[in-house]
Amino acid sequence: MSNKAARSKADVLQGTLDLMVLQTLDSLGPLHGYAIAARLEQVSGGALQLNMGTLYPALMRLEQRGLVLGNWGTTETNRKARFYALTPAGRRQLAKEKQVWDRMVGIIHTLVHGGA
Amino acid sequence: MRILREWIRGLQGTLLLGRRDADLEHELRSHVEMAAEDARRRGLAPDDASRAARIEAGGASQAMDALRDQRGLPWLDDLARDVSHGLRTLRRTPVFTAVALLTLALGIGANTAIFSIVNGVLLRPLDYPKPEQLMFLTAEFPTLGLTRNPLSVQEYLEFRQINQSFATVGAYRAMGGAYTTGEVNLTAGNQPLRVRSISVDAHLLKTLGVRPAQGRFFSEEETDRAGGLAPPLAILSYELWQTVFGGQPLVGQTVNVEGRPHEILGIMPSGIDVMDNRTAIWLPLGLPAAIRQNRGFHILHVVGRLKDGVTAQAAQTELNAFLENWDERTGSSGHVPTTRPSRAADHTLQIQPVQDAIVGDARRSIWMLQVAVGFVLLIACANLANLLMARAESRRREFAVRAALGASRSRLLRQTMAEGVMLCVAGGILGLWVARVAVQALIRAYPTSVPRMSEIAIDLPVLLFALGVSLATGVLFGLAPVAQGRINDLVTGFKEGGDRGACSAGRHHIRRALVVAEVALAVMLVIGAGLLIRTVYNLTSVDAGFDRSRLVTFSMTLAEPYDPDTRGPAYQRLLDRLRVAPGVQGAAVMSGLPPNRSPEAIPTRIENHTASDGSPVEIIDYYQFVMGDYFETMGVPIVAGRSFEPADAVSPDRVVIVNETLANRIWKGRSPIGQRVRPNLSAAIGFGGNAWHTVIGVAKDVKQGGVEKETGTELYVSLDELAMAAPTMNVVMRTILPPAALSRTLQRLVREVDPAVPIVRLRDMESVFAESIRRPRLLAQLLGAFAGLALLLAAVGTYGVLSYVATERRREIGIRMALGGTRSGVIAQVMKQGLQLTAIGVVVGLAGALGLNRLIASVLFGVQPTDPTTLAAVIMTMTLVAAGACWLPAWRASRFDPSVVLRTD
Repeated sequence: MSNKAARSKADVLQGTLDLMVLQTLDSLGPLHGYAIAARLEQVSGGALQLNMGTLYPALMRLEQRGLVLGNWGTTETNRKARFYALTPAGRRQLAKEKQVWDRMVGIIHTLVHGGA
Repeated sequence: MRILREWIRGLQGTLLLGRRDADLEHELRSHVEMAAEDARRRGLAPDDASRAARIEAGGASQAMDALRDQRGLPWLDDLARDVSHGLRTLRRTPVFTAVALLTLALGIGANTAIFSIVNGVLLRPLDYPKPEQLMFLTAEFPTLGLTRNPLSVQEYLEFRQINQSFATVGAYRAMGGAYTTGEVNLTAGNQPLRVRSISVDAHLLKTLGVRPAQGRFFSEEETDRAGGLAPPLAILSYELWQTVFGGQPLVGQTVNVEGRPHEILGIMPSGIDVMDNRTAIWLPLGLPAAIRQNRGFHILHVVGRLKDGVTAQAAQTELNAFLENWDERTGSSGHVPTTRPSRAADHTLQIQPVQDAIVGDARRSIWMLQVAVGFVLLIACANLANLLMARAESRRREFAVRAALGASRSRLLRQTMAEGVMLCVAGGILGLWVARVAVQALIRAYPTSVPRMSEIAIDLPVLLFALGVSLATGVLFGLAPVAQGRINDLVTGFKEGGDRGACSAGRHHIRRALVVAEVALAVMLVIGAGLLIRTVYNLTSVDAGFDRSRLVTFSMTLAEPYDPDTRGPAYQRLLDRLRVAPGVQGAAVMSGLPPNRSPEAIPTRIENHTASDGSPVEIIDYYQFVMGDYFETMGVPIVAGRSFEPADAVSPDRVVIVNETLANRIWKGRSPIGQRVRPNLSAAIGFGGNAWHTVIGVAKDVKQGGVEKETGTELYVSLDELAMAAPTMNVVMRTILPPAALSRTLQRLVREVDPAVPIVRLRDMESVFAESIRRPRLLAQLLGAFAGLALLLAAVGTYGVLSYVATERRREIGIRMALGGTRSGVIAQVMKQGLQLTAIGVVVGLAGALGLNRLIASVLFGVQPTDPTTLAAVIMTMTLVAAGACWLPAWRASRFDPSVVLRTD
């Protein structure tokens, strides 16, 4: 029972994190892990601080699902880093997840703020 | 589906994106360094900056752990755990494991062995380039009932000329009249050998589309020259070259073939043959003018290669158009093929893919065996399913505990499946070994029972088949406990208090169905085996027309420089020596050895007689040329008139003897003695003219063309009268000695006549007959073995289920007995249950056997597929076996001690 509850909670987190990562890569192009984390922190005004133990497994998961592709490259400061780029499948997945998200937000908004 | 997707993803993670730890660590390190750099840029001191970075980024080792998990081998871990758990379980129950493995090894092994025959004989294409383009052209004589006959030389040449469908058309000659037996004497060093030969023209070699492994093939000039003997050239098969000549360079050298030196032009590639002739030496086709011009001489087997894009159908359509007016089209007359055969000698032409022509009737038998052996495997599966189900029942508690401790249903399901699949893979490996041994034994024991025998091997398709069968079997019976619905309902295992609860009826339905299915399949197999055993019995008890006990025969060939006039005295000298040899009571020589002759269909003139189709000649199926005391030696009774006598040889009157069938067909009840016939000796044996002969006797019918065939018409001609002989003759002796004991004496006697002549196929007549029915015999033996196995497995299955049911009901039985029930009552009750299932199974099996009637009917002889005796015997056997299988559990149930049974609950 507890097993199931934990999994469903993790599912929600995974879903939103995946969406955030995919969206970031879509708007900024290929990025390395640290840049993704920095970007999310910046966008959230510091509210979202991803540690490596959350971010990198998520990236690996996305890569395993064929949604992003990682390649070693060099940063502007001449440091070696692994850059992640959105694949066409990733782009399609992003569009799908965005739609789901928008619908969900709409439902919850209506529910929470009345109107129905 | 979802599970499958995850597995695939996991597999990708493992194999494709399997990033190494070092790579992952490097990425994490660069993250921390970049964070520290940022912190420094924000103005922190280097030490503080790196500390802040580490805090912000979280622990690298925790991240590594999470990454390693994500990298994903969980399913592999699970699999490893399933396997080790399964191994432990199997080791804990050695009897179950051994029984299961043995059953599977036999089931899968037998299936694989038979499939290797299906694969090698039926499925694998022939070894030529574009083998599907090769067609076999035959002459069919529907009014004579002769099929797949060769063509005449004229027909072959005409067809080659006029057809548009074939790129090339070639011809060969193997078995023909009395003077080409498809074998030649070959002298390698100083050992005389008898090897299988074939005489081909250059067109045939071109048609096959192969290239010589060494040297060259015959040229058209060498094989097409008009008249006369073929040039002394030879091509050796790769196998002969390797085994007899040790693979030494040989091209350009000479070997002695039939006593004449032949130049070796080339070596065939390995495995190349024509029409399963098992050719060892290829000779150029030589066509004497007499044969070339005689349209009645059907001696050439014709193979054509279709042009690219032309179908066999189109070629046959074109051929049919030719048949409409063959004579006009080719400017020939007389004996030409036609579409509407009405008279005895009329024939039509037909095209068939070479592979079909080779496999012929064997196809049905082979598929029948595959079906039979598939049934055996199904029965084995049913048994194993039963065993696993019983085990799952007894492990319900274990499963319930594990489910309660958090094991997911799919894990438990996978675990039971893993056990099944493991058993099957192990069984499959053992099975492959069984198959290998079985196939080798089969080839050794029956080297010529199956066409293309040399191509039967355990190769890749067979391996894949064995693997597929093993896995399918494993999944099939591994799933049985699931189908039973037990695993999905595990938690109830606790509530029911282990396995002692009153059993739900539904749970037994599957088991009962399995028993019924097993019995039904076994019944079908036993019926099949029974019918074939009857067939073999009928074949062996056919009256062949002569006494074949204590009869020894061999064949020999007096080739060049002998001619008909010198051969006669040579055979006579041999006969004189044989008659006085120790242990020999009588000796004779004959041209054709029953019962494997193919009909010769020789047009023969008979005085005052017109054939039913108005023709002046009657087609006689066989001429038998004999020397010595033929009828006495063979034990063929003379039913009217007299036998040949020494006086006939010196008298100017020529005499013949006819068989009963011929006498009845021509003279219809009147006595044939004194009637005259005019045998076409030159057509039949190549010499002797065509004088009028007087019929002096009628001999009992002898099965010349096979015990299962109708007896043909036959004419006996005495060679003593002509003092001539054909090159190859069969010597036959009535003797008290077995062939092996005679061998040495015979060798010496033949050597005295001619030291260069080998003795061929020395054996007793019983083995000649056994050989002639080798295919039905092999089929009967294999089906019998499969049926026996099926019977055993079905008995074990019935026993297992009944014991289980009896054990489950022991409380009920205990109560009954405590209330005064008798032991015999208990036995009757349990047995009734088992026999009811058997009865249903027998009925289903009988229905199934009726449905398969058509499959088996064509291989039966003298017995109908619905033969009541066989069916009754099968039902009786099945009932007895079932009664035996039911009695033991019933007896055991009757020994339950009510006080013990009731107390333990």
